Amino acid sequence: MNAELDIDARAKLAIYRHFADSGRAPTPQDMARAIGCDEHDVVAAYARLRAQRVLALEKDGRSIRMAPPFSGIPTEHEVLVDGMRSFANCAWDSLGILAALQRPGDVRSRCGQSQEPLHLHVERDGPEQCDWLFHCLVPAAKWWDDIVFT
Amino acid sequence: MLFFRSEDMVRDWCAERRVPMRPLVNIPQLWKLSTTWYSNRLQVDAHRPKPDEMVSIFAGLGLTGDFWDPRADRF
Repeated sequence: MNAELDIDARAKLAIYRHFADSGRAPTPQDMARAIGCDEHDVVAAYARLRAQRVLALEKDGRSIRMAPPFSGIPTEHEVLVDGMRSFANCAWDSLGILAALQRPGDVRSRCGQSQEPLHLHVERDGPEQCDWLFHCLVPAAKWWDDIVFT
Repeated sequence: MLFFRSEDMVRDWCAERRVPMRPLVNIPQLWKLSTTWYSNRLQVDAHRPKPDEMVSIFAGLGLTGDFWDPRADRF
């Protein structure tokens, strides 16, 4: 059990660092190299991290769809930091990526209704003045019932 | 979880989909929420907030009620 906990903790940290460094989801091979175990152990760790609501996986169980605030696939919520582009799962997560990186950057998103583009610059101490709003349809108690829809 | 240009845009979006309009969050609130939730995500001791922590975080931003309570069974 302790070995599993150790792998899970190392995998979680390595996943987030991979996203932070590259803007992309790691493969199980990437993670196996990063934490020094085999792919089978990585995929088993992914399943446990999914159960803890740390990750959302694609149906293959090997591809990371979400490691909130990072998205493993392109979305309409882009975050730019020092020329590197990351994708966020939602509006909240676009600011979440900058909070996690603790670096200034820019959010590129749009109005959910009008599609008007949103360009928001964010310094380490917060975003520039902006009167846009955030709306969440799904209640907190239901977020992980279908986290992709949420 | 989307950005909207204005409250009217949120209202129109909800009306078109026949879904209820939920509490609105402004950008300073969303930034505070993001830093509280995610600022330690790249650290060894990072963890997703537990339900009681979530309630406390939301309440600290003025986001209260069943909608923001992960323990609520009303929905």
